[in-house]
Amino acid sequence: MAGIFRTIYDWLLRMFWATEMDVTMIGLQNAGKSSLLRVLAGGEFTIDSIPTIGFNTKRVQKGHVTLKCWDLGGQPRFRPMWERYCRGVNAIVYIVDAADRAALPVATEELHDLMKKPTLENIPLLVLGNKSDLPDKLSVDEIIESMDLKSVTHREVSCYGISAKEETNLDAVLRWLIARASR
Amino acid sequence: MSYMKKDEDADQVMIKLDRTSVFQDARLFNSSPISPRTCRTLLTKIAVLLFTGEQFPTNEATTLFFGISKLFQNKDPSLRQMVYLILKELSGTAEDVIMSTSIIMKDTAVGSDVLYRANAIRALCRIIDGSTVQGIERLIKTAIVDKTPSVSSAALVSSYHLLPIARDVVRRWQSETQEAASSSKSSTGFLGFGGSAQNHAISNSNFMNQYHAIGLLYQMRSHDRMSLVKMVQQYGAAGVVKSPAALVLLVRLAAKLAEEDQGLRKPMMQMLDGWLRHKHEMVNFEAAKAICDMRDVTDAEATQAVHVLQLFLSSPRSITKFAAIRILHNFASFKPHVVNVCNPDIESLISNSNRSIATFAITTLLKTGNEASVDRLMKQISGFMADITDEFKVTIVEAIRTLCLKFPSKQAGMLVFLSGILRDEGGYEFKRTVVESMFDLIKFVPESKEDALAHLCEFIEDCEFTKLSVRILHLLGSEGPKTSHPTKYIRYIYNRVVLENAIVRAAAVTALAKFGVGQKDPEVKSSVHVLLTRCLDDTDDEVRDRAALNLRLMAEEDEAASAFIKNGKRSSLQQAALLLLTSIDSMYSLSTFEHQLVMYVTSGDKQTFATAFDVATIPVVSQEQALAAERTQKLTSATPTLKAPSTGPPKGAAAGGMAEAASASATQKYAEQLLEFPDIKAYGTLLKSSSPVELSESETEYVVTAVKHIFKEHIVVQYDIKNTLPDTILENVTVVATPEEEDVLEDDFIIPAPKVPTNEPGVVYVAFKKLAGENSVPVTSFTNNLKFTSKEIDPTTGEPEDSGYEDEYQVEDLELTGSDYVIPTFAGSFDHVWEQTGANGEEESETLQLSNMKGINDATEQLISALSLQPLEGTDVALNSSTHTLKLFGKTVSGGRVASLIKMAYSSKAGVTTKITVRAEEEGVAAAVIASVS
Repeated sequence: MAGIFRTIYDWLLRMFWATEMDVTMIGLQNAGKSSLLRVLAGGEFTIDSIPTIGFNTKRVQKGHVTLKCWDLGGQPRFRPMWERYCRGVNAIVYIVDAADRAALPVATEELHDLMKKPTLENIPLLVLGNKSDLPDKLSVDEIIESMDLKSVTHREVSCYGISAKEETNLDAVLRWLIARASR
Repeated sequence: MSYMKKDEDADQVMIKLDRTSVFQDARLFNSSPISPRTCRTLLTKIAVLLFTGEQFPTNEATTLFFGISKLFQNKDPSLRQMVYLILKELSGTAEDVIMSTSIIMKDTAVGSDVLYRANAIRALCRIIDGSTVQGIERLIKTAIVDKTPSVSSAALVSSYHLLPIARDVVRRWQSETQEAASSSKSSTGFLGFGGSAQNHAISNSNFMNQYHAIGLLYQMRSHDRMSLVKMVQQYGAAGVVKSPAALVLLVRLAAKLAEEDQGLRKPMMQMLDGWLRHKHEMVNFEAAKAICDMRDVTDAEATQAVHVLQLFLSSPRSITKFAAIRILHNFASFKPHVVNVCNPDIESLISNSNRSIATFAITTLLKTGNEASVDRLMKQISGFMADITDEFKVTIVEAIRTLCLKFPSKQAGMLVFLSGILRDEGGYEFKRTVVESMFDLIKFVPESKEDALAHLCEFIEDCEFTKLSVRILHLLGSEGPKTSHPTKYIRYIYNRVVLENAIVRAAAVTALAKFGVGQKDPEVKSSVHVLLTRCLDDTDDEVRDRAALNLRLMAEEDEAASAFIKNGKRSSLQQAALLLLTSIDSMYSLSTFEHQLVMYVTSGDKQTFATAFDVATIPVVSQEQALAAERTQKLTSATPTLKAPSTGPPKGAAAGGMAEAASASATQKYAEQLLEFPDIKAYGTLLKSSSPVELSESETEYVVTAVKHIFKEHIVVQYDIKNTLPDTILENVTVVATPEEEDVLEDDFIIPAPKVPTNEPGVVYVAFKKLAGENSVPVTSFTNNLKFTSKEIDPTTGEPEDSGYEDEYQVEDLELTGSDYVIPTFAGSFDHVWEQTGANGEEESETLQLSNMKGINDATEQLISALSLQPLEGTDVALNSSTHTLKLFGKTVSGGRVASLIKMAYSSKAGVTTKITVRAEEEGVAAAVIASVS
């Protein structure tokens, strides 16, 4: 019975207070953007997915909020195009491979370059350290430290450690994103 | 009423579409949520702009492209189809289009049943780049064999476009393509949601994807003739391919194969013959056309095709009749006697209400008709001319022009007809064609000259086209003085001076002057003088200038004329003026002249302008040479007898026509290089340079080519040496060239090449003196030895090492033959020069068996280049595959004429048997020339 009410309540919420928000997901290649998005949208996790050429979109429904997620390719040739897709979105999700220490400097550089763009001022940034299930991963604090996230100003910045494979901490990510919907 | 008004407004919106405002509106794409309806309208507007030729600049296109890619969030099928359509169009101009690859791939995914899958595939292949093609390989492969024809077609067409980008990947899809080509699944409507029953009925009967598959297969295999042959035979078999369009493609391919390879001709002709009986008209027509266009088609082969076309002539549908008569029309100028049998059917078409058909019918009859029927036809045409458009009139006039050249005895009647229509109303193109036809009559049918000139005179009395007036005046100027009563033309010309605009007046003055210069009759001369003097008061300065110049020339005309003929010491500008004015029997080679002038004017180097342009460097060709070239060209364009076949240009014709100009300009080029050496400069002017002869295989260590330069008393052999060995340098390179016969040539000097680095050309000149005097034609062969010091290059410093070793390298022998002394030259009539050279020269003949020639055409081509003579009277194209007579003419470097008559017979067993007869005015030349073949 309670379930039925809950469904009706959700439906009503969607009916009258439905909000849509745009979220752009970026990060170096093989950080796990497409996999994360697939899992967020309720799909199965797959180990071997093909690299994204260009971009992909998916809608994620959560309560009365619809997240329109833009998943951009992370290969060097697509990085100059990130900025174009980040303009005017509600939030930028920057995904790094927490277990790939070698790629971290490049990821840091790309992130800071992007944050300097005047068009992207004030857009909230969520940095996710993916693959937290792997043994040799960096902790959240270590990521904040080594990526120098404290120097990113003029916007909200958060950093979570997640695992798309084990689906750890994904609720927190969604909650964080939905909280930015009303902005 | 109100409804109407609204509609009008809508129309206005579409008409007033403006690129900038549409681009501004495109911000709509970024809005959220997306309204499929309004977005589709906007996309349609963009489509209208794109399809009406508006170009978005790159930055706008890129912005649009990315805006549109936001629309992928919406799943509305019609919006998505529109999105794909526009993305496809923008992909050419926008940057970074590769961004959309992943999102589009989602729609093309295997097993996805979306309506717009075909659209997605088509868009995908437009945005993808070569390196990513591999990523969509599986996807396209499955789409090619998809059960939905629209998807299969889309994949096939996409592969076709991908082929140049990623050849190797696409070539792997052969087996899928083959499957698609032979599958006969019925189409379920190309328009997807079109849905109406009629739509289905139409698309059911076309097997479009077969057509696309055959097209793609052809592109994949285009390099491999054997597999193409297999393909034609496999899919050409009855019933394998159902799409008539695909069959048409196969017909064309078969025709092309037969054209390229004599060995394939027979099986392909059989296939074509079979297609003549196919149940689709489209295929019948294509096959008939292919047979008629085939090079040296025999009468027997063509009969069947003509018969099929004849049946179509009586079809009730206009389009069928038109197609048939058009093919027959083309074929008639080629083999009129074969088309003859259709004449009764064609004659009934003259009165057809469709003017295009009627025009073709008439012109075809004109070609097939014999002399007797021409008069009757002309009468019929006269009644018919009034109610057809200019375009058709032009076609008819051209047919008549050809007829004039064919039956010179009928010229009187045709001239009357031509002058009749010249008086009719008509546009410039039409009038020009008529006037040009009359020009041709004057040039090539001398009996008609006086009458034709009279008609032209009348025409310019009332001619609204300045250009035509000028041309006619020029013709009057050049032809008038040679007629029996030149004075009557003077009146017509002077009338122009009085009545016309400045351009025509100037032309008239020049024409008038030609009656005065060189005029023997003092009375005429004085009247021309009076008339020209009056022109000195003209309001236009060009007219005054011309009058003044011509008066001056008339005063000293004897001296001027003689100065011109000797081509002597006068200032070059005056010479040029004289030449343009009188053009007695020579003119500058205009194409070379133009080229040199352009080079001079556009030169970036200041040095060039330090000296005046020297007109003396331009080769002079005689009037008759130019005329011969023109006539060849005219006949080629007017009668497709000598036409270029639709596939592959005839190498012989092009080579022949260009030979004169090409050899002249090559000599020119070499002359400049040679002048840099004072020793060679002392030899005088360069008379002829041969084309380069390869003395080594192109893959050897040292690639050597030689060019023979003929001077008055000397011969210089230029060796171009290329060193292909990496990291070596050749120093002090000389060539020891030893003539086989000892007493004809004497070594003079050698100009060695100091250094020949890797892959850079070096030049060595070896000079010989002719022992037998200036006009002798020494024939011999040289053995050639390269001598040089080879040094290795130190890879660390890039400098050659100090010590090297002496080396010798022998290359193939170089032949100095009689043909090196002759230059191809035009002559109006071969019989004439043949008689003349026979009368005051010597004759040599020889019979040769050329077993390695593949056919008459091959032999013709080879002989023309081996003898270095100009083919005359269109004999460079053999029309018969078993026998041919080749007529060649040229001049030796010292000016003696050389004519050659070659009779050839071909049989598949013995190859080509030729009898070559050469007549030459100078001693020893005939034998030397013949020797260059054997």
